[in-house]
Amino acid sequence: MLRYFYLTRHSFDRATDMLYWPILDLLLWGLTSAYFQSYISETDTVIFTIIAGIIFWFVVVRGQYEMSVNILEELWNRNMVNLFVSPLKFSEMIAASAIISVAKAAIGFSFAAFLAKLLFDVNLIYFGIYLFPLTLVLLMTGWVIGLFVAGTILRFGTKLQALAWTLVWVISPFSAIYYPLSILPGWGQTIAKFIPVSYVFENSRMFIMSGRVDIYELSMTILLSVIYLICALWYAHRSFAKSLEKGLVKLY
Amino acid sequence: MNSIIEVKNLSKLFGGFTAVDNISFVLKEGEILGLLGPNGAGKTTTIQMLLGVLTPTKGEITMFGKEFFKYREEALEMINFSSTYTTLPWDLTVRENLTYISYLYALFDRKKRLQEITALFKLEDLLEQKISQLSAGQQTRVNLAKAFINFPKILLLDEPTASLDPDVAAYIREFLLQEQKKFGVSIILTSHNMAEVEELCDRIVFINKGAIVADDTPENLARSIKICHIEIAPPAEEFQKLRQHLEARRFSFSVEKRSAVINLEEQKVAAFLQELSAEGIQYEEISIEKPSLQDYFLQMTKTENHEAP
Repeated sequence: MLRYFYLTRHSFDRATDMLYWPILDLLLWGLTSAYFQSYISETDTVIFTIIAGIIFWFVVVRGQYEMSVNILEELWNRNMVNLFVSPLKFSEMIAASAIISVAKAAIGFSFAAFLAKLLFDVNLIYFGIYLFPLTLVLLMTGWVIGLFVAGTILRFGTKLQALAWTLVWVISPFSAIYYPLSILPGWGQTIAKFIPVSYVFENSRMFIMSGRVDIYELSMTILLSVIYLICALWYAHRSFAKSLEKGLVKLY
Repeated sequence: MNSIIEVKNLSKLFGGFTAVDNISFVLKEGEILGLLGPNGAGKTTTIQMLLGVLTPTKGEITMFGKEFFKYREEALEMINFSSTYTTLPWDLTVRENLTYISYLYALFDRKKRLQEITALFKLEDLLEQKISQLSAGQQTRVNLAKAFINFPKILLLDEPTASLDPDVAAYIREFLLQEQKKFGVSIILTSHNMAEVEELCDRIVFINKGAIVADDTPENLARSIKICHIEIAPPAEEFQKLRQHLEARRFSFSVEKRSAVINLEEQKVAAFLQELSAEGIQYEEISIEKPSLQDYFLQMTKTENHEAP
């Protein structure tokens, strides 16, 4: 963790990207939705829905990014050997990335929530206690994708590093971030059923509109996320074992 | 001395290529073992397997009496590694690198240890510099400091003094010998500096084509080469005469400035000198160099090259 703290301290892009994108998205989409709200009636919740979507999606991205880019950093620095000639376990490295992602997501989330209140009078505290299960699923989904990317990079090398910036966006159309699932075509809805964050966004919209969430659905979502996380952890560990067969020195 | 590392029938295959072929050796407590061999012989592959960053295809590694891959973390707490060919994160300062690495080990007093190794490797003035700002020699010193951070009982050093200035290299060699004597540190090292290997190593394992071809002391390995080198500098007017004689008798020799270096079996030296005297060939200077580890290395790699298709 200390290593990633130092890295963040020295890397301007890593220090700023946890604030830069949420601010940019918030301004762009917040103002866009404010514009639409001024034209369309019965859209009191549009701006809230869009802004909650932006900030919640940021949590997924942060979870994924830290998990996969931290592995990439070690490969770029040819530092895997230095790390793993020590008693460090791969699981500890993963845990460090997870904790860092929670810290950075918390900083970014808090700052974005503060801006949302300040600029658009959108208060995410409105979600109350439900913020915890909702963000837990968001983070877990980010970790799952991040671990899948990290495992794939460990197996095939940095030639697939673009996945670290792109893969998470592949699920975004099926996550129903800004629109209800019903908008998606049938096949799209089928895919969305297997994506835990789609339930988070559906329930967050339900909460904004009706003040309630589907507890059963949320519980099942957490369960689904845990199952995915176990599978992703297994895949990342298997990939690390595979990379040891090739040798960490040759990994880049 | 007890064995601190035991390697049994260790092999590593990459697809159809055998990088390490069924090797077995031991490292005794407090011993400095040189791993020698030509490039691509399997030395680095062996070291990587001993560090647990490469999985063997077959074979066993026992460290401190326990199966290494079963008790990997426990063993690595007492091992460390330095290589000229690996770098620490470039964006971090020397202090940051050493600090975060110190947290990977169960150290009692980190701050004190960091001060100690900083002083030992003369890094005080470099602490706030990023690794990317250091010269190759300075990076090697930081790598060595990193290798000593956890009071290792076993050190694996890949070309430990490459890229160091001669005075710093001599200091590091002396330091390694002191650590060995004071704390009984066992060391496996690879180096292309044969004088360094002769100075440091108690024993040498020579690897070629992934297999061990010799396991002996540097002296015995050098002695196994019977050829010594006689350097003769005759008066300038006699040089041609000496050269003609050497060519006529088909001696293996080379010419260096105004002297000739003749490669000759040790037991034939006396007869050779008598022969020169009988031919009336005089010389102003003569030196006889006994076979060295360098000769052994060259002999072994020459054999390898000749055997190559």
